[in-house]
Amino acid sequence: MQKMFTLVLGSVFAAVTMSSAMAADSAVTIVLSEELDIVDPCEASRSNVGRVVLQNIAETITELNPAEGLKPRLADSWEDKGNGTWQFKLHPGVKFSDGTDFTAEDVAHSLKRIKSEALTCEIGAKFFGGMDISSTIVDDLTIDITADPAQPILPLLLSTVTIMPAESPMDSYVDTPIGTGPYIFDEYARGQHIKLSANGDYWGDKPAVDAATYVFRSDSAVRAAMVAAGEADIAPNIALQDAVDKGMDYSYPNSETVYLRLDHNTAPLNDIRVRKALNHAVDREAFVGTILADGTLLATGMTPPSTIGYNHSLKPYTYDPEQAKALLGEAEADGVPVDTEITLIGRTNNFGNVLETMEALLAMFQDAGFNMNLKMVEVAEWLEHYSKPFAEDRGPEIVEAQHDNANGDPVFSMFFKYASEGLQAGVQDTTLDDMIAASTALTGDDRKASWEETFKYIHEDLVADVMLFHMVGFSRVNSRLDFTPSIRTNSELQLSQIGFK
Amino acid sequence: MSLTLFAESPSIRTFLGKRAIASAISLVGLVILVFFLSRLTGDPTALYLPVDASQESREQFREIHGLNDPLPVQFARYMGDLLRLDFGMSIRRAEPALDSVLRGFKWTLQLALITMSLVTVMAIVVGSLAAFRVGGVFDRIATFCSLIAASAPDFWIAIVAIVVFSVNLGWVPTSGTGTVWHWILPVSVLFIRPFGLILQVVRGSMITALSSAYVKTARAKGVLDRPIIFVHALRNALLPVITVIGDQAAGLLNGAVIVETIFGFPGVGKVMIDAILQRDFAVVLAAVMVTAFAIFLMNLLIDILYAVLDPRIRY
Amino acid sequence: MTDSQPVRELPSKLVQLLRMLWRDKLACIAAAFLLLVICCALFGPMMLEDLATKQNLRGRNAPPFDFSKNWTFWLGGDALGRPLLARIIVAAGNTMMVAAGAVFCSLLIGTTLGMIAGYTSKLTSQIILRLADVIMSFPSLLLAVIVLYMLPASVGNLVIVLAITRIPVYLRTARAEVLEIRERMFVQAARVMGASTPRIIFRHILPLVFPTLITIATLDFAFVMLAESSLSFLGIGIQPPEITWGLMVAQGRSYLTSAWWLSFWPGLAIIFTTLSLNLLSNWMRVALDPQQRWRLEMSTQND
Repeated sequence: MQKMFTLVLGSVFAAVTMSSAMAADSAVTIVLSEELDIVDPCEASRSNVGRVVLQNIAETITELNPAEGLKPRLADSWEDKGNGTWQFKLHPGVKFSDGTDFTAEDVAHSLKRIKSEALTCEIGAKFFGGMDISSTIVDDLTIDITADPAQPILPLLLSTVTIMPAESPMDSYVDTPIGTGPYIFDEYARGQHIKLSANGDYWGDKPAVDAATYVFRSDSAVRAAMVAAGEADIAPNIALQDAVDKGMDYSYPNSETVYLRLDHNTAPLNDIRVRKALNHAVDREAFVGTILADGTLLATGMTPPSTIGYNHSLKPYTYDPEQAKALLGEAEADGVPVDTEITLIGRTNNFGNVLETMEALLAMFQDAGFNMNLKMVEVAEWLEHYSKPFAEDRGPEIVEAQHDNANGDPVFSMFFKYASEGLQAGVQDTTLDDMIAASTALTGDDRKASWEETFKYIHEDLVADVMLFHMVGFSRVNSRLDFTPSIRTNSELQLSQIGFK
Repeated sequence: MSLTLFAESPSIRTFLGKRAIASAISLVGLVILVFFLSRLTGDPTALYLPVDASQESREQFREIHGLNDPLPVQFARYMGDLLRLDFGMSIRRAEPALDSVLRGFKWTLQLALITMSLVTVMAIVVGSLAAFRVGGVFDRIATFCSLIAASAPDFWIAIVAIVVFSVNLGWVPTSGTGTVWHWILPVSVLFIRPFGLILQVVRGSMITALSSAYVKTARAKGVLDRPIIFVHALRNALLPVITVIGDQAAGLLNGAVIVETIFGFPGVGKVMIDAILQRDFAVVLAAVMVTAFAIFLMNLLIDILYAVLDPRIRY
Repeated sequence: MTDSQPVRELPSKLVQLLRMLWRDKLACIAAAFLLLVICCALFGPMMLEDLATKQNLRGRNAPPFDFSKNWTFWLGGDALGRPLLARIIVAAGNTMMVAAGAVFCSLLIGTTLGMIAGYTSKLTSQIILRLADVIMSFPSLLLAVIVLYMLPASVGNLVIVLAITRIPVYLRTARAEVLEIRERMFVQAARVMGASTPRIIFRHILPLVFPTLITIATLDFAFVMLAESSLSFLGIGIQPPEITWGLMVAQGRSYLTSAWWLSFWPGLAIIFTTLSLNLLSNWMRVALDPQQRWRLEMSTQND
């Protein structure tokens, strides 16, 4: 027994390598909340993939900078040729990390690949659903890209498309991504870590960080502890209650908006007075600085306030339980079945403190006289309530959801959340359909004004949903780094933007 | 030595053969049960595509992953592949499901082996000592501590341990794998509960064994040699203990989900819970089969141990 | 726990039992504590329900031991400003129901199947053992997800999930004990003398198997409470506004570094309850075992 025990222990000691010597000073370790299942750049719009791959390995031809707007990246310039076609001039002398040249052919292939039927890439499904994208190669460094129907914001849409070499397979994911970015994908030891190192032949400026290791811990307290213990340099996403160290913890608007989606097809939610009553029943201010972080903004629209066309003149509904009761009474007098039990559906682990938030909301609605019960469900079940087709025999349902739009334009949200055909829309309104279609086709200031009108119509005329909060995220950053998280940190983490103090 | 003699007897060979067949039957039953029951938890399509994905891309996804066919057809196809030892592809990881599972199982197996070896040795030693003088100081302390240890939630202990031993004291790494030091916290946290439980069972059955007729007879006959009494009693007391050890080990082989989740330990428990929540059916099935196989092997070992310890038991 | 024997017929026996309980001071305290928990479980939800759900967002995470406040706040307030003490008392109801329900069901089913497996034909025995193997290797988390996906996350359904996963341990233990005991001389003798199988099982085997099973059951009580808590940790257990101690610990763990009392008190409730159960079961093992009863009947030198 003794011998066997020694043997077992010995084999374990041998199996683990003693290789955790302190990494070089210019290397960083980043602790993410979720392991990457796929590392293919065509999935980079998923935040866990994007944080590793986007702009580090694979670059895009345009890039959205939260402060300055749309910037060139792999393309130097672009112009609108009319009829939905845009011409892009690509940067010369760029090479992929495998040594091949970057040309218009790679762009054309990447655009085809995100729409490949055998892959169902997330970028294609999320940003290019319902349109055809075609391209014509003019010469090695010039390409015409056409969208049908025409997209006035095509250059912005292209800031989501990661460019991969023309040799990338159309029917399977790559497990060692190759791109033009400042870093090379070295190794993925599944379940343990991903390692990147600086690309010596990068076409742009040489970054300060020359190697990065990504590790994965699902518990926020552990991620925060790792940075505190010096085992990691950045934890991009930690919970409010773990962000207790002013010297290391940064808060930033994380582009997520939390709201309650109302189902306008069922009574009593089909009555505008009931929807108004729901809005007046919530004491939004009470959440800020308590269950949710200081700096959380009260929302009046689906997208973050930094989005073009966000209507800053709208005011959140006041907390007024008396008025809510009065509105309910009015509706009841008109025969609206306000006593029907409403199901409030929340998604477990959706954001920090979601459970507390939902419990508090439930209590507020009940105080205002609603007959409501709370149901917390995991993501797979939640999706069945959130997305169409809705169940036939459902009762009145209110679904809590968190929507992320870091891409600067409401078009990425409005159709899906509010058009009659939108998969998550609880509302069906032809006027709204027309407004969304009109705004989508406009450009410049007209587009901005039209979106503002749309936001106002949704918030004041339709009272479509119960808008709640624009959320704040927390990152913990080791004090040796010079790095400030921004609204983009939710979807990407550019190593080249990190410096050392 | 008795084990080698045992393996050569013809009755044990037929026993092993029968058990192999029986285990295969249970395994098939398990696969059928898991296949159909897991399908009851809904269609994975919505989980894998962005919420804004069009109806066409949803259809496409179902077509690619064979989710459009009726369940019996899917099942027949799965069993056909299984006969060729093809466990299917993971939707989430886009790799063979068996690869995901075996990679995790390797870690889990090591973790379980180390933990259970430590637990078994410690629990038997401490438990027997406690039983020797029931109600004595040692007994009271051992019982009290083991009970408290066995009643605290492991995720609570794990997080407190990280805060105390890694952040405040800096003795061990918070989490992850790499060096021997990385194993200390996960093994310690996993150790606590089975230790408390098994210690109690050892103590209980040792008390019974020590007060049983033949030990009393031995004492009456004047056998004062403690070790001899001890060994006799222990041999008898071990039967229920082994059952509980087996139960606890099975729990560990199934994956110590909580500990693996918190410490970022890439074991099969984490693989399995992720696959369950993501409706990655091929991985769920592969994980169930691999762990079931390991548990069947272990149960076989336990049955053999029974027979070794108590020659009156015949199969 | 409740004694179904008619009390009046056996006054001397009951008095004798209580006297034995009095001799073991620790067991006595344990019994008193359990009685208190049972009272909380029975009457708490009725009396304190409203108080325990009254939220006050601006007074969240109130620290404990502030005796200037209402007594319900003496252990502090939770993340939504609800009084912890009142919540712990109310949660006792669900917690006891889940734990007792699951332990009782698995004990009953597991023991029955185990005794059958140990004392009947090879074929039946084999079928039952295979069944145990299947349950043992069926991932309990998958079971939880399946059951709670199809049925609401109520107390009853949680009992189903937890009971099923705990059956094999009773089954295997009961069978193992039976295998050993049935070879003993007195059982063989009873069989030779023509005793019926049920008589042998109930008169001769069950009393010997029972102490071990009770030990496991009391320890399982802790296990079930903790398993329920683990499910909550993973987000697939009982869902608010229902509360159990396990859920309170799971919800409070994210505040461990800033407001320790959120998960500490309910955790302590779990620990004290299981500790009491164990002390009581240790006493019971001795009191029920004819060979060891002398330890309690005489005033022993251990005290």
